[in-house]
Amino acid sequence: MSPARDLDGHRYDVIVVGAGWAGSLVAKRLGSQGWRVLVLEAGTTTLDTWPGHLDAMNTFYSSLIKVPNAPYRANTAAPSPSVLDTVPHKGVHRYQSVGYLVQEGPLPYGTDYLRAGGGTGMHWLGLTPRMLPQDFKVRTEFGYGRDWPIGYDDLQHWYCEAEREIGVAGDAAEQTREIGLPFPEGYVFPMHEIPSSYVDRVMAEHLDGKTVVDPGTDEPVELRVVNTPHGRNSTPNQAYDGGRGFRPQDAVGLPNYGERCVGNASCTPICPVQAKYNPLKTQAQWSRKVTLIDRAVVSRVLVADNGRVTGVEYQAYDDPATPVATTRTVEADVVVVAAHAIESARLLLASELANSSDQVGRNLMDHPVMLAWGLMPHQVGPFRGPGSTSAFERFRMGESRKEHAPWRLVIANWGWTWAAGSPGSDVAEMLGIPETPFQQRKKALYGVPLRERLGDRIGRQIAFQFELEQDAQPGNRVTIDRRHRDALGNCRPILSYDLSDHVKKGMQAAMGVSHQIFDLLGAEERTAYQADAPSYFEYEGTGYAFNGAGHGCGTHVMGDDRRTSVVDQWQRSWDHANLYLVGCGSMPSIGTSNPSLTMSALALRSVERIHQDLTELHRPLVLRPAPAPEYAHPTEARP
Amino acid sequence: MTVRDPLTGLTGFTDIKTPLAEIEQPPFEIPRTVPKLRYFLQAALALEFLTIPPYLTAMYTIKPGANQEAWYALRAVVLEEMLHMTLVANMLNAVGGKPVVADPRFVTDYPAKLPYAKEQVPIALRGFGREAIRTGLWIERPEKMEDLPRTGKEPDPRGWTSIGQFYATIREGMRRLAEKQPDLFDGDLTRQVGPEDFYNSGGRAFPVTDLASALKAIELISEQGEGVPGSIYNPDERLFGQANELAHYFRFMEVHEERRYGPLDTPASGPTGPALPIDWTAAYRIDPQAKVADYPPDSEVRLAAEHFNQVYARLLWLLDRSFNGEPKQLQAAIPVMLELRDLAAQLYANPHPDPARAAKGVHASATFEITQAELLAAKKQLDTGAGATALLASLA
Repeated sequence: MSPARDLDGHRYDVIVVGAGWAGSLVAKRLGSQGWRVLVLEAGTTTLDTWPGHLDAMNTFYSSLIKVPNAPYRANTAAPSPSVLDTVPHKGVHRYQSVGYLVQEGPLPYGTDYLRAGGGTGMHWLGLTPRMLPQDFKVRTEFGYGRDWPIGYDDLQHWYCEAEREIGVAGDAAEQTREIGLPFPEGYVFPMHEIPSSYVDRVMAEHLDGKTVVDPGTDEPVELRVVNTPHGRNSTPNQAYDGGRGFRPQDAVGLPNYGERCVGNASCTPICPVQAKYNPLKTQAQWSRKVTLIDRAVVSRVLVADNGRVTGVEYQAYDDPATPVATTRTVEADVVVVAAHAIESARLLLASELANSSDQVGRNLMDHPVMLAWGLMPHQVGPFRGPGSTSAFERFRMGESRKEHAPWRLVIANWGWTWAAGSPGSDVAEMLGIPETPFQQRKKALYGVPLRERLGDRIGRQIAFQFELEQDAQPGNRVTIDRRHRDALGNCRPILSYDLSDHVKKGMQAAMGVSHQIFDLLGAEERTAYQADAPSYFEYEGTGYAFNGAGHGCGTHVMGDDRRTSVVDQWQRSWDHANLYLVGCGSMPSIGTSNPSLTMSALALRSVERIHQDLTELHRPLVLRPAPAPEYAHPTEARP
Repeated sequence: MTVRDPLTGLTGFTDIKTPLAEIEQPPFEIPRTVPKLRYFLQAALALEFLTIPPYLTAMYTIKPGANQEAWYALRAVVLEEMLHMTLVANMLNAVGGKPVVADPRFVTDYPAKLPYAKEQVPIALRGFGREAIRTGLWIERPEKMEDLPRTGKEPDPRGWTSIGQFYATIREGMRRLAEKQPDLFDGDLTRQVGPEDFYNSGGRAFPVTDLASALKAIELISEQGEGVPGSIYNPDERLFGQANELAHYFRFMEVHEERRYGPLDTPASGPTGPALPIDWTAAYRIDPQAKVADYPPDSEVRLAAEHFNQVYARLLWLLDRSFNGEPKQLQAAIPVMLELRDLAAQLYANPHPDPARAAKGVHASATFEITQAELLAAKKQLDTGAGATALLASLA
């Protein structure tokens, strides 16, 4: 029997919905402050043992397509979407969604997430760039999207705290010099930067100091390869924390393990040696005040007549393969929903809560990724080191944002893996295996010639990931409909997703920049977008295709007006004073930064407020001498 | 050659026919001068290194995916031996010595005789199996320690009886010398390998700067192997604030007995916890006395075995540099260790080139042999910038 069934009617100080990244951080901090925290996880929690980790590794090794959710086992009670669910289709749209997500928009939302202990943070790439100060006011400065109610300065302290929790490796001085990021005086990251890959150094050799023209603005942009901050073990910086240094967290489930990154290059979906941060490392630091209950799918947040939430209703199940559950409730003074942007919105919609602004589920954002790939004339040694270690950063900022969406030009270090399924697709091609079983097999290479050809091809592969900022659009949204339910009877998320012209213009400009870069490199460009790709669209006569980045954001948007936003600057629901919605869903704009770091900073900032709320609730009554009674004590005779 | 196995009472290791190589052991006495102490520490460095190839061989001959518990037990032990070697280098540097690693005399031939012991125990490069685990048990055995050497003009004639006794002797020598020479541990601090270069790998390295840190290093080395006296656990919980972990001897015992220790078990009780199933057949069978010369000249196996030893020589240089003023070279050493892992795996997966032996199921193996010529070639390779730097230069 699942222990989740035993909790019925229990009471805690805080319930956290979701044992993913944000929830793990919130539980750690509140638990260490002494609050009794219950964390409810919809999925299973086997990944926090070493055999569980090895099982995920083996599942990954044996899977034919190495997508982000490939290492993690299916769960019919708490299903997760997969990027493989979006398939080509000839109909109203070019795509069809065949999995957990229902999709109805013009373009597919090509991103997955993971419902299991550790959450989607189990398969993040491990990059932790901060947002730029200008990213927080895109409406005011550049005329698109939504502004934040707070700015970079409000988050400065919390960015530093988040970098401590994650154990960020990077070069703060370079971030200031090349991107203009402000840091506290003398700040260094907990660890020295991850060494730039050989591919990065080749790029720098060819491109540093050269300029390309932004076709959207006709302005020149200088190229410079800049090392990216990582949530990944490198060399601890002895100067960190006023000279106290930094001690990297062990691997989860195996002591004395989890050393520096050794370059397995499978960061997404899984780091074999656990050099990469994952939320289970935070869970390993939880105090005894934190209780984790898995296989508990929260189906409703409960609310009292006075508008305060009282707890949650959840479905306890035993077997992930048998979607049979019993419904239970549990109570708390504060409820923190931290279940991923899409799942949190779905839960709020199902609970019919927090939505007086009609913004719940809206403003769904991701970083649409346009891939460009080619062959260098010489070996560049991809697959040595993390999936990416550097980027060109100048396209993220400046006045061009008024004309088109900005992007981070990420240098891929895993050849054409993402772009074309390398190296498997190269092997198939050289073995003459046709694309469909109905074609005849072509001439094949074997033995030494095959190895040599493969080594030559794969060793020269380069790819760029143009990760564009998507602006908040109310029409990009999550809804629910009673007709679409999962096996436990919970409403599945229905997505409607599209790209604005601002983003499409960004892709147009990015493609122009991409051609110039391949020219400067002397590389043979191989970029090709297939018209039958699910995400294919045409804009001003040119075809494009894009991928999702796994950066779901915006669905319980933060603002300074309760009429137009779901949460205030503390991620607290405007409608329910003791309900917090913590996660990327709160972000009104996402700039061109991978959002995990900013989400962590926001979560840690919210903890301070939650702690304050709880302290006020628990403040003991002060017993003062009673004022002189107007009448005698009840034991005495009244007049 | 026969050795009476303390576990079973049976005679073991009867397959080793050749004479055993012996590493140089200091005389049985307490080191009374700083040069003597450095000599003892250099011998300790060689002793720690001696254990690594046999343990790696046992680990890498496990067939892919099989015996994962045993694989991780061996891995944990190997990492701790690497930590011990690093800490010995730190001690040697602290007392003004210069660790020698890239030298053919530093690397023993196998099978070697178990040093600091009376018994003729062969330490051979054995494939994963009970004999390989028993070799580990011999090396790590916690023994009632015999007396330290008596002080006198001549070395004490009784001779070494255990590794624990050897380290206790070093400890005693350091303690006495530190009393007479307050500046004993004044070695160059930049030569110390610290936690920034070695962490989460069997523990963390720490600099040796005084008698206290040197004694802590010795305590760690002895107790990670043999356990805290009277216990099955190593001292990591006390020294590093980490979870309780079994000492090497008891890790090997778990694999040998195919059973885990329970929470109340002691050295005397043996493991009485849950079963730990081992598939002793899921390992490549190799010749524990294999030499490169066994393989026909110019055969693929011969070339692969030679290549392995060349990369091994490169690793020795990187370690030598790491312990001689360039601790950051450890970062370059780790990919070379992984390269050795992959090269070894290729050899073990390949049948022995001698058809008669191949028919008996014997596979080729990495021999961990080092010659002066190989070391010179490896040094030349490193000096001309093997790897990324040379490639980058060729682009310009």
